[in-house]
Amino acid sequence: MSITGKFDVVVVGAGPAGSAAAYILAKAGFKVLVVERGRGAGSKELFGGKVYAQPLRDIWPDLDKSAPIHRWVTKERFSLVVGERVLTVEYSSPRPVGFTTYLPELAKWMADKAVEAGALLIDEVRVDEIVVKDGRVIGVRSGGDLVEADVVVDAEGVNRLLLEKLGLVERLDPKHIALGVKEVLRTGKGVIEEKLGLGKDEGMAWMVAGDITAGIPGGGFIYTMKDMISIGLVLHVGKAVEAAEKGLLREHVSLLLEKFRLHPYFKRIWGEADIMEYGGHLTIEGGLGLVPKKLAINGLVVVGDAAGLLLNTGYTVRGVDFAATSGRLAAEAIIEAFNNGGPSEENLRVYEDKLKSSFVWRELVRHRGIERVMSDPLFFTKLPRLLIGVMKRLYEADYEEPTILDAFIESTSEEDISLARLLFKLGSVVGKL
Amino acid sequence: MSQETLLTRPLKIEDLLQRNIYDVDEDPHIEIPRGSEQEGLPKEALVYLCPAGCYTRIGDEILFSYEGCVECGLCRIISPPDKIRWEYPKSGRGVQYRFT
Ligand SMILES: Cc1cc2nc3c(=O)[nH]c(=O)nc-3n(C[C@H](O)[C@H](O)[C@H](O)COP(=O)(O)OP(=O)(O)OC[C@H]3O[C@@H](n4cnc5c(N)ncnc54)[C@H](O)[C@@H]3O)c2cc1C
Ligand code: SF4
Repeated sequence: MSITGKFDVVVVGAGPAGSAAAYILAKAGFKVLVVERGRGAGSKELFGGKVYAQPLRDIWPDLDKSAPIHRWVTKERFSLVVGERVLTVEYSSPRPVGFTTYLPELAKWMADKAVEAGALLIDEVRVDEIVVKDGRVIGVRSGGDLVEADVVVDAEGVNRLLLEKLGLVERLDPKHIALGVKEVLRTGKGVIEEKLGLGKDEGMAWMVAGDITAGIPGGGFIYTMKDMISIGLVLHVGKAVEAAEKGLLREHVSLLLEKFRLHPYFKRIWGEADIMEYGGHLTIEGGLGLVPKKLAINGLVVVGDAAGLLLNTGYTVRGVDFAATSGRLAAEAIIEAFNNGGPSEENLRVYEDKLKSSFVWRELVRHRGIERVMSDPLFFTKLPRLLIGVMKRLYEADYEEPTILDAFIESTSEEDISLARLLFKLGSVVGKL
Repeated sequence: MSQETLLTRPLKIEDLLQRNIYDVDEDPHIEIPRGSEQEGLPKEALVYLCPAGCYTRIGDEILFSYEGCVECGLCRIISPPDKIRWEYPKSGRGVQYRFT
């Protein structure tokens, strides 16, 4: 890659985690190199659409003024779908905490910030290996080139090829991973405001559960951008593979997404909006299952998705703000380590302490196990069927409608759900919230 | 493509991928074996779950073409390591996302 000299810190990956770390370090006067495999930061990025703002403001105080914010999320919706029947709950609030954006745009903005602060970014370079010598990480290798650094920040994202090669983590287990597929639809000006009852800068985050995932644990999402709408599906990879191999999944994943786009209830919103882009990306199911045993070793710290830091509760996803925060904490730990004699493993492990006393860790611990609950068929298949069944009984009677209690009892017995089990499980979810 | 077909039936994966920008590398960044060597690969899962439809079934065998790959990594994590060679494309090649 023909970069000479030695750096204080080399960051692998210009995603939210890497760019946050690089920004803080460069601002503190460190000599920082960011290596990104894509053509410019962001070109390999795909996510859902909503980002929590405050943790980002803690890093970039001018976020509100200069970041590519599409809309502030003032409305949250959650829908259960069974066939053409849909039950939707909407929450509207004047105090948005998150905004919608495209990750390629946001990641580019974050990388630009790091460069403005003095970091050097080289793109179109794939790091092939984190290099270890005499028990410590000394830099990174790409092809035949070695770049040396006192500390390497691994921010390579969910596909942790480098960490696997290093032996710091096991191969990704599909049971901890979900596959996201996404389409971006150009609705044109005014459509979003009119169809969804939103003001000019107001946005919506909309999660969908039910049979749109063909019996595979997961769900759908809809996010409003300026003049476009992002829609997508997220599927539990372990379960999806099982279903496909057993012959239970007989449609290509893109067809499931296309059916979601064409679902009569939803397609009214975007109508004949053209599809501008289509893509897929892996993400973390949630929980602490992918956190490496060590987040810092001699000369290396691990941040963001690579460190397994993502929360998916089913009604909200926190990846970008967790990643950026872990990048910030790692940078602060590196600065302290240099002030205390250098980046030994002992000094770098301050990062672990910082992370474990941060809101990121507290959130992950508080919601531990929620990903298992969300992928329980009782929740993603039976609960939607049960509630839609109740609605159907209450609202689709021509002459005599049952009482709510009767509708509920009939519905549970039709879906063969044990009320006791459901209440017990519901209790365990509520306990997690 | 007329707007009517956009609303009336689902687009095929080839048509969806047409919406994307790629700079396809001359060299494949992913390789799988052919014929009986494919024993052990989760064929159905690869065919139905690779978001870019890179895997297609021809009889007992699956054919792989890397051109539409969106570099998600799914095929790598669901295949036995000795049955797949998987790398990111080099030099910024591959998919170029704008709005995702
Ligand atoms: C379908 C889906 C929906 C999501 N929805 C949301 C959401 O709504 N809100 C939210 O907050 N989060 C969401 N997330 C999660 C969020 O996208 C991630 O948590 C976040 O992007 C992680 O940031 P990161 O910097 O750790 O990794 P990434 O953003 O993945 O960045 C890693 C970077 O490293 C580069 N890289 C990788 N390997 C190498 C290498 N060997 N050499 C050089 N460069 C390399 C990559 O090109 C990339 O730029 C979603 C994710 C998915 C897949
Ligand atoms: S990396 Fe993803 S898109 Fe590429 S071939 Fe594998 S599964 Fe398909």
